[in-house]
Amino acid sequence: MKEKIQLFLDSDILEKYLIGDANKEESSKAERYIAMYPEVRKAYSELQDNLEAFAKLYARKTPEGLKEIILHSAKKQKSSTIRLWRYAVAASVVILLFAGSSFFFWNQNQSLQKENDFVNTKIKYLEENMKNQLEDVRNQFIVLNNPDTKKYSVKGKREGKELKAVAYINPVKKLSYINVSNVPQLPENKCFQMWAEVNGELVNLGVIKQLDDKDKLLAIPYADNAIGYITVEPEGGNTSPSVQNIVANIMY
Amino acid sequence: MSSLIEKHIVTLLAEKDDKAISLLYEHYGDTLYGVAYKVVKDDDLAQDILQESFIKIWKKADTYDVSKAKLFTWLFRITRNTAIDKLRSINNKMDKEVQIDVSDVYKVGVEGIRPDVLDMQDNLEKIELKYQIVLEALFFQGMTQQEASEELDIPLGTIKSRLKIGLRELGKLYKVSTTLLLLINILP
Repeated sequence: MKEKIQLFLDSDILEKYLIGDANKEESSKAERYIAMYPEVRKAYSELQDNLEAFAKLYARKTPEGLKEIILHSAKKQKSSTIRLWRYAVAASVVILLFAGSSFFFWNQNQSLQKENDFVNTKIKYLEENMKNQLEDVRNQFIVLNNPDTKKYSVKGKREGKELKAVAYINPVKKLSYINVSNVPQLPENKCFQMWAEVNGELVNLGVIKQLDDKDKLLAIPYADNAIGYITVEPEGGNTSPSVQNIVANIMY
Repeated sequence: MSSLIEKHIVTLLAEKDDKAISLLYEHYGDTLYGVAYKVVKDDDLAQDILQESFIKIWKKADTYDVSKAKLFTWLFRITRNTAIDKLRSINNKMDKEVQIDVSDVYKVGVEGIRPDVLDMQDNLEKIELKYQIVLEALFFQGMTQQEASEELDIPLGTIKSRLKIGLRELGKLYKVSTTLLLLINILP
């Protein structure tokens, strides 16, 4: 250990470190030895005293007025540092505000765009819906007003006794509609379902709902000499009609 | 320099108190100016260097670590490095302009040292010239030991030993002056 310390003291690392000429590696070695070994610490302390003594030998009277210049520039340095610091704070605040408002506007833009898309879709849907409805109403109008249109009163039997419906058939335009104005009460798990026989096949026209608009005309597929049926089916409708449950038939 | 004043200055520096600069200048100004002058051998340049050094000291005040170096050592390193950097930048500029022969920048032979030696305090004469030359070359000329060896035409080993002995000689000097100072202080 002693040898190691002596070897270090014999080298010129401590002297180089003293005057600030040591490189990084030498500096950290010097600092390590100074911290670890009292002998090195003592030597370093002596070297520092000697350096001060040596430098003092070369002391030279500073010129008049230099002190004031130096004090002034040091103060200026301090205030400019403070000013710089202030500018930095101000700049940071501005940047933060800008970032914040940018994010806010971006966010707002995003939600507006979403809303815009939603509104556009809705408009398209409404337009489509309106066209369909208009078409439907036009067809209804044609059928009802056409002199060739025949009106059939549909009367039910059994559970459908109270069922009141009117069918409008126009063989010229090949259009047929039915208006169900009264649907009798059925047990909870039963419902009325409408069918039409088209080219020998029974086509499901859907379940007649209680709440349906009484004045609503329901389009049914047209076929020459077709027969329409209303059956009682389990709730939710059936895939094929239960023939034994036919409560009304419409011939047209 | 009493360690009490040193401590006071260190505290002021850490607090970035303006008074620190004033006190530093009063207590170390002449010595640091001497260091700067010794390196550049020009009063105007030495003034610039002292000013730059004080700005650096002021800026770096919070990085000063009392456990790593005494206050003067720290001040010396900053001033010396500032002066050597200045000298090098001037030399580089001159080298580029190729106008003036600057071969005497590193001249620290007997002729170079004589006038300064005469100006110095008596104490310096107590150190043998051969040590002075080596110490000056290393401390003030910014030479590495290798450069000093080449410039002064002295073997590297001799440079190393002269540096060590020279510094030890200085120790004697320092002790004498400290004792004197103590005596002066003790006497009513």
